[in-house]
Amino acid sequence: MRARIALLAYLAAIVLATMVHEVGFLALGLGLVLALAGRDWLRILRRACVAILLFNVVVTLSYAVIAGLQGTFSIGFVVLVNLRVLLLTSLTFLFVSRVNPFEALAFSRSLTYLFTLAYSQSMAFKQALENFRLAFKSRRIEQVGLRDRYRHSARMGVHFLDKAVHQATEITQVMRSRGFFDA
Amino acid sequence: MHIPDGFIAPQVYLPAYGVAAGLWAYAARRLRAVLQEETIPKLAVLTAFCFVVMMIMVPLPGGTSAHATGIALLAIAFGVWTAFVSVSLVLLLQALLFGAGGVTALAVNALAMGLLGSAAARYCFWLLRRVHEGFGLVAAGWLSVNASALLMALVLGMQPVIAQADDGQPLFFPFGFSVTLPAVMIPHALIGIGEGLLTLLMFRFLRQRGWISGE
Repeated sequence: MRARIALLAYLAAIVLATMVHEVGFLALGLGLVLALAGRDWLRILRRACVAILLFNVVVTLSYAVIAGLQGTFSIGFVVLVNLRVLLLTSLTFLFVSRVNPFEALAFSRSLTYLFTLAYSQSMAFKQALENFRLAFKSRRIEQVGLRDRYRHSARMGVHFLDKAVHQATEITQVMRSRGFFDA
Repeated sequence: MHIPDGFIAPQVYLPAYGVAAGLWAYAARRLRAVLQEETIPKLAVLTAFCFVVMMIMVPLPGGTSAHATGIALLAIAFGVWTAFVSVSLVLLLQALLFGAGGVTALAVNALAMGLLGSAAARYCFWLLRRVHEGFGLVAAGWLSVNASALLMALVLGMQPVIAQADDGQPLFFPFGFSVTLPAVMIPHALIGIGEGLLTLLMFRFLRQRGWISGE
């Protein structure tokens, strides 16, 4: 219940943050988020900054050049948009660090199962991908050509699709044997 | 390729959620009717597949690389609605569990990549396979990336028009269509070639294994 309320509060805060266009209020919101983060505030702030850095730097620099040439540059816009993105990202990291998203989605049994299975399978696939990457790296002694890199990427894709289809059958059988579909 | 949080106005992302919610409900009902008890496991593992394919690098000529999406292959092999739900779930996972992408942009990204991208790929392949199957697959991969990119460029480009302050300054994404269209479409035209070639190779490998007939 607490997780569901937190999810609703998080979603309301997200919408509110995109409806406010006053830098002062957004700064206040960011301050509140960091205060709620407690001892984790620096970790959340740093993580959010890293996550938004690339896209925001590209957008800000492009805006500075284009608007500067057109004579419409506004430092107010730069602060507003970067502050809003930082607030939204910090809010998401705070939510994820404080609330179990699986619990928050527990209002639907099917959605919880789907989300949990998708997450666990994704993590397993991600680990396998990393192993493939390391294996490929460790077994080459010279620069690999474009054609071979394509074949390698395609083979990995096929492996995962193959695995996905077999896993689907296996998981269905496991769930059936445990009575999941009887309810 | 997806749009991050904070650059889309609520005038756009809230209606997008309305449209996407209806389509998610329709897709879920449709998949349940077809797959019955296999719906959850199948969607879960295809979501994981989509998640991991988005981490596979597509080599591009010149030594660079970009992320694959796998959406064309997913749509051709499993259908548009399965691809739509799987891509949406990946975006939700990325937004909620990894803090990547964004909750505000989720519906727009899901509609652009999951629905438009997969529908474009599936129907492009369906039309062109009669002419030349290989070309149809490459074109499907290219189109899935570029149709999604086009919708995203249009959504981003409309932000300064629909959300601006009294002094005319933008409130969200600052560039109009004259900037977003070339900035988004030119790189994706190249990325799309890589995606198309990967779609072709993966499709052929899968057919060699005998579980895609190509029909």
